[in-house]
Amino acid sequence: MSFYKIADLNIQMECLKKMLQERSKKYFSSEISCADIKIDMDNEKLENLSKRYPQLSLNELEYIYTGCIFADNIFDFNGFCLHSSAVALDHVAVLFSAPCGTGKSTHTSLWQDYFGKDRAVIINDDKPALRFVEDAFYVYGTPWSGKNNLNSNIKVPLKAIVFLEQAENNSVRRLDAKEALKLLINQSLRPLANNEQKMEKLLGLLDLLLERIPIYKLKCNISTDAVKLIYNVVNLKT
Amino acid sequence: MKIKPGYMIREIAKNHVVVPVGDATVDFNGMITLNDTGAFLWKQLLEDNTVENLTSELINEYDIDEKTAKRDVFEFVEKLKDADLID
Repeated sequence: MSFYKIADLNIQMECLKKMLQERSKKYFSSEISCADIKIDMDNEKLENLSKRYPQLSLNELEYIYTGCIFADNIFDFNGFCLHSSAVALDHVAVLFSAPCGTGKSTHTSLWQDYFGKDRAVIINDDKPALRFVEDAFYVYGTPWSGKNNLNSNIKVPLKAIVFLEQAENNSVRRLDAKEALKLLINQSLRPLANNEQKMEKLLGLLDLLLERIPIYKLKCNISTDAVKLIYNVVNLKT
Repeated sequence: MKIKPGYMIREIAKNHVVVPVGDATVDFNGMITLNDTGAFLWKQLLEDNTVENLTSELINEYDIDEKTAKRDVFEFVEKLKDADLID
């Protein structure tokens, strides 16, 4: 039995394939003996998944499936996963969210170019975990970070969430709760099955999030100017 | 008539929000927001209900005249039908 410490939770999981093995390595813990979340996977289950999704390799299937199970269980621990690229600058987190193909990863990589990779760390490039603990929202790295293996095993306080939209010129504005909620619901990883309790928990967290965390819309091009603009608005200077 | 199964109504950040749960997610990505009247009528429609009854409930709740209530109920029910949220 193997255990991993992910988002401050004890995860029990056997990694069968190389992709998940390698990506979860830095979360491995030998000090855990009881699980908060159990992710069951065996060869038979993987073969069955493969019949349903023949276009995906076994490596990809295991990686995607285990990520879904993790995201579906974190609701029970005051958490959820948001489809976004999360960057920590000087240990404060900003999440950049948008539909696939908008340029989340491209934007956060600009942060690394501008501030340097020591100051700007990618927490998770695709689906960071957010949890409300100790009366504040924190962002965690997880092994499930999409096509790029870009994640760090760290916990960082959340400062702001920014929804990206491609544009010729850069502009930013703060969203009101209604606008923000719509975008948040669209980009949150929702409960897999018809589970009202989990949905209830997700909505409760979003309610709390809207109360505490500013949400912005950044229309931007691919430039350092876009980074500087949102950096100043979010006011990361401590 | 009543609201189809698979939807939840909750108040989030002072907005009445309807979201799909489970299978309904497939046809309905995202959410709808309702005003106070809409939320009131939605809740009445969680159980099987009629236009006549909705109208009188609305009159009782909001102290409005019958003509306005009838129009509000009609418009709301038509919207729900268009969005296929009711049967």
